[in-house]
Amino acid sequence: MTAVGTMVWLASELMFFAGLFAMYFTIRSVAGDLWNERTGHLEVGFAFANTVILVISSIWCQFGVFKAEQGKPSRDGKLWQVGSWGMREWYVLAYLFGAVFVSGQVFEYSNMFGEGISLDSDAYGSMFYLTTGFHALHVTGGLLAFLMIIGRTFTAKKFTHHQITGSIVVSYYWHFVDVVWIALFATIYLLK
Amino acid sequence: MKVEFKLFSLLFAFSAIMGIIYGVFTKWEEPVGTVALFLTAGLCIMIGGFLWWTGRKIDLRPDDDPLGEISDIEGDYGFFSPHSWWPLFLGASGALMFLGLAVGWWLVMLAVPFVAVSAIGWVFEYFHGEHSI
Repeated sequence: MTAVGTMVWLASELMFFAGLFAMYFTIRSVAGDLWNERTGHLEVGFAFANTVILVISSIWCQFGVFKAEQGKPSRDGKLWQVGSWGMREWYVLAYLFGAVFVSGQVFEYSNMFGEGISLDSDAYGSMFYLTTGFHALHVTGGLLAFLMIIGRTFTAKKFTHHQITGSIVVSYYWHFVDVVWIALFATIYLLK
Repeated sequence: MKVEFKLFSLLFAFSAIMGIIYGVFTKWEEPVGTVALFLTAGLCIMIGGFLWWTGRKIDLRPDDDPLGEISDIEGDYGFFSPHSWWPLFLGASGALMFLGLAVGWWLVMLAVPFVAVSAIGWVFEYFHGEHSI
């Protein structure tokens, strides 16, 4: 039941991002010259590396889900024995990669801002910060969700079905945010 | 879950075809409607695909049996909180935070601890101590 509810909510989230994509294409179609000038400021290589980090984070998250489905909340070996890891360790790793992604976004923002592109500088700035900013807020929300799911494995006495469901729906959300970023990256950085 | 899957697939096909027709009629120069229609198709196939994928993993439900009785689906539906004050606190502190976006960042800063405490309170309400579910 929780999983179906999460999927319906994520579908509505897709429509939220549909609004942002529609904004991007509309502004672009009326302000083509601005695009030619502004897209030169983008650091495509850096953003690509950041994208790869987010995609890898999704993979670690999925490994955590496999462990959760096996009912294994934490490792039963040493920290360096990756094979013995449980959901907790994989989620911490996914969290770290997600945190690096957000930090990379902040770095990219400071670069763009330093070159005079801000939220209220022109239409391109509004578009860039609104689309990537809303996405970064979603990633940050996902990071907080990771922390809570990890925290539950410490506070609850048993690793129950309810906890497994919780970790699975957080992974749905994480994969969704990941896919949205790939689409955003393609439209902003590759399509130019 | 075949019926549900078919229902959403139908909506997917409708939106996708309408998206193509819309695109052709506007010569692909009007992006908003095209993006909206194609992502509506995405919305439908997301739910439809999930239902198909779940339906493959689980056995046929009593709902799938045309001759099923209401009593067939009795039993445990999941955990429902009997009462909780946390949604109220979370709603109030969230409202305070978003009000802060209009009023000033100082109010957002004041609201963040409240949001954190009520979110943690809600998430952990039934997941701590002896009686965790």
